[in-house]
Amino acid sequence: MSLSASALAQELKSQALTNANNSGSKGDALAALEAASFPERKTERWKYTSLQALADGHLNAIADGEISQPLPALSEHVVTINNGQLVSHNLPDGVSLSHDGPAINGLQTPFAFYNSAVASQPVVLTVAANTRIEQPIHVQLQSASDTPAHCSPRLVVVLNQGAEAAVIEHYHAEGQTLSNAVTALVTADNAQLTHYRLQGEQASSLHIGTLIIDQQGISKVDSYQLMTGNRLRRNDVRALVNKSGAELNMKGIFVVRDNSHVDNQLCVEHAVPNCESDQNFKGLAGESGKAVFNGRIHIHPGASGTNAELSNKNLLLNPGAEINTKPELEIYNDDVKCAHGTTVGQLDAMQQFYLQSRGIPAAEAKRMLSLGFVNELLMTLPHEKVAEWATPWLEAELAHTTPAGESAA
Amino acid sequence: MLEIRDLHATVADKPILKGLNLTVNPGEVHAIMGPNGSGKSTLANVLAGRDNYAITGGEALFEGKSLAKQEPEERAQAGLFLAFQYPVEIPGVSNMEFLKAALESVRGAQGKEEWDSVTLLRQARAACKQVNLDASFLKRGVNEGFSGGEKKRNEIMQMLLMEPKLALLDETDSGLDIDALQTVAKGVNSLRSPERGIVLVTHYQRLLDYIVPDFVHVLSNGQIIKSGGKELAHELEEKGYGWLTGEEESA
Repeated sequence: MSLSASALAQELKSQALTNANNSGSKGDALAALEAASFPERKTERWKYTSLQALADGHLNAIADGEISQPLPALSEHVVTINNGQLVSHNLPDGVSLSHDGPAINGLQTPFAFYNSAVASQPVVLTVAANTRIEQPIHVQLQSASDTPAHCSPRLVVVLNQGAEAAVIEHYHAEGQTLSNAVTALVTADNAQLTHYRLQGEQASSLHIGTLIIDQQGISKVDSYQLMTGNRLRRNDVRALVNKSGAELNMKGIFVVRDNSHVDNQLCVEHAVPNCESDQNFKGLAGESGKAVFNGRIHIHPGASGTNAELSNKNLLLNPGAEINTKPELEIYNDDVKCAHGTTVGQLDAMQQFYLQSRGIPAAEAKRMLSLGFVNELLMTLPHEKVAEWATPWLEAELAHTTPAGESAA
Repeated sequence: MLEIRDLHATVADKPILKGLNLTVNPGEVHAIMGPNGSGKSTLANVLAGRDNYAITGGEALFEGKSLAKQEPEERAQAGLFLAFQYPVEIPGVSNMEFLKAALESVRGAQGKEEWDSVTLLRQARAACKQVNLDASFLKRGVNEGFSGGEKKRNEIMQMLLMEPKLALLDETDSGLDIDALQTVAKGVNSLRSPERGIVLVTHYQRLLDYIVPDFVHVLSNGQIIKSGGKELAHELEEKGYGWLTGEEESA
């Protein structure tokens, strides 16, 4: 089925509302969805991402397939959520799981509102005050469906005062599922959170997700976001740096090959004085892959003494690949430090020649240089188990050979 | 081993080599000298297969096969090695990982026994020691943040491991102090053997005090205008290139 963008937007809204009503949604969540407009071609924030894939009818069915290749456990502490439903959990002392959590602040997209309307049993992990959790908590969010279908996983992680933990938010999808996900990380005073977002779903699947980082206290959050492209991947990441002295670091890697797609929309909201944020993302695009990166820093009038940085460096491996990157600074305050830089380049011909002159074949040289480009970030991953999983995963994505007939240059 | 006949070559379409002839037999060490801009480095880069360095006439045969149609990696696999004048920095790719890939490819192509990782590390450490490079350099990014001298020693270290049939050294002496020059020369001399050819490209005679060549050639305006024994280098040192090229050499 092919629809015009505006007809599709209306169709998606009607599907979403039908599902919300059927699931008994009411109150604010339903009201927000009712008021929302789904993106059309002219919607600025969606201008590089077409929703045409959703014309296949993903919102008309709920994913309920068996996961044939479940994720390996990267920790003793695993929470498994299949097709949006909690399946099992094994948590350490000091971490509790419930289905009641605080309302999530800062949601903006119609897809996030839809998630709010239908996700009746969010998984809420709460780390007790002044507790240090040694091992990371591995949250596996898996889905499978042979035919177009969707799920709406919703994860909330709350670190109470003085808590320290690491959470791995790890997606896996098989077949034709759409994960319409919402995750919120909420930190109180003196909390320290290490967060991983690993997105390596099958190329045929879709992911539209919102991540909210809500630093309600003087806290430190380090977030590592690694992703490969798929049929449609859209990440809206919004950080609310809301208490003076809070510190946020986000690092990420995205790799798009073949016809895959990634659209990252990041926004860091500095609403109060004297906070620090750093965004450092690297992107790689090959074949007809398409990546979008929009990094917004919004410094509100009262947020003096803010120190915010943004860097997005990208590598194009083929002439057919596309990367659209844009830093977006909105600063309503003179007393701030704000640095940004975005670049799109190609593999360095001299580096390539140097490797080849030592007998390394052109394709292997390219792979080594591509991996070298993102390696700097991979090497900073603080948890060995995650690095051990992520490195070969990205290596495999980069080992991808160039189809015959395309220039090796 | 290397047969160059009437070689013409361009760099980004500009003619640089204009009918160059040179024969290197196994066991010989040749020095190619000449004023700046004479085509010395072009020759080295053309032979190694750098992009935009194109052979437009004549031929260059290595082990009887034309180099013109071979990719740079095929030339290396056949036993050709270029020590770069300006070794390239590659952050994110470790020296060790780089050596592993290079040696796997070259040793494999030459039918040599494969080195397991323990052997590779042992050999690499020994090669580092030979050129006074701390073994910690193996873990760093290729040439990343190395000083000029460290980069040149890293080139020689790679050459020792790769055991090429023909080694081309492009201005390996430039930017080296006397201690580093001696270290580099020792490394090169240790590779002298009846099976191996060595071509030194240099502007100054200084290197040739430590690596004594069998033949010295003077390159000017894309051609070899004079060849002789090692004494030719001394003559050049005394009289300058203007003696042969008929031009005043600027300092």
